[in-house]
Amino acid sequence: MGRPGGGSRGGGRSGPGGAAGRGGDKKDAGKRFFFRRRKVCKFCADKIDYIDYKDVKLLGPFVPERGKVLPRRMFGTCAEHQRKLTLAIKRARNIALLPFASE
Amino acid sequence: MSQRVYEILFIADPNLGEPEVDALTAHIQAFVEKEGGKVEKVEKWGKKRLAYLVKRHREGSYVLLVAEGGPDMMKEVERRIRVTDGVIKFMTVRVDEELKKADRRKSRRNAEDEKRRGRSPERAVPPPAPVVDEVQL
Repeated sequence: MGRPGGGSRGGGRSGPGGAAGRGGDKKDAGKRFFFRRRKVCKFCADKIDYIDYKDVKLLGPFVPERGKVLPRRMFGTCAEHQRKLTLAIKRARNIALLPFASE
Repeated sequence: MSQRVYEILFIADPNLGEPEVDALTAHIQAFVEKEGGKVEKVEKWGKKRLAYLVKRHREGSYVLLVAEGGPDMMKEVERRIRVTDGVIKFMTVRVDEELKKADRRKSRRNAEDEKRRGRSPERAVPPPAPVVDEVQL
């Protein structure tokens, strides 16, 4: 109890495939008026199963200068990969590969 | 219990020279081996800038060890690293389960790709071999 909408993410599993198809359509339709970013999870698209905390180059774009983790809505990362990404970033911070906050 | 795989990543004092870092690495490797573990890989990253100050150091030499062993071994190894001079920071991560999971996902996805071959093959592993030609005799 006490966690409204807790189960609503359950359907995310079948997401990536369907989302990719839809993204293609949208791009054609709306590109002209404003920049529409590609809302496909980078890790699904590149088929990265294990997000390595040691790979600073990979994690870099998700951590802006001030050191925060970028929210899902910015990059369109899927829930599963966002979770793994967060863990990887936290590990990288622990060993001084990424900042906790800017100096 | 079965063996686990750990990554030991430590940062050596930047003031240490190359041979000293090597000696330190060998030292830590010895900790693992003494506890019945096995070091599978040693990777030296060299001097890197730290994202924040660690014991007043701005940079440090990173060394990564991949070790196999049990939890008791790790406990002892961690304790020993903690009292070793020259290590300014370290972290150990257990990786076997996550890597196994990633492997499983990969093989499952490859199987799925195989099943619906032809559909959006962009990055898929080798394109399916053309079989049709031979049947047409």
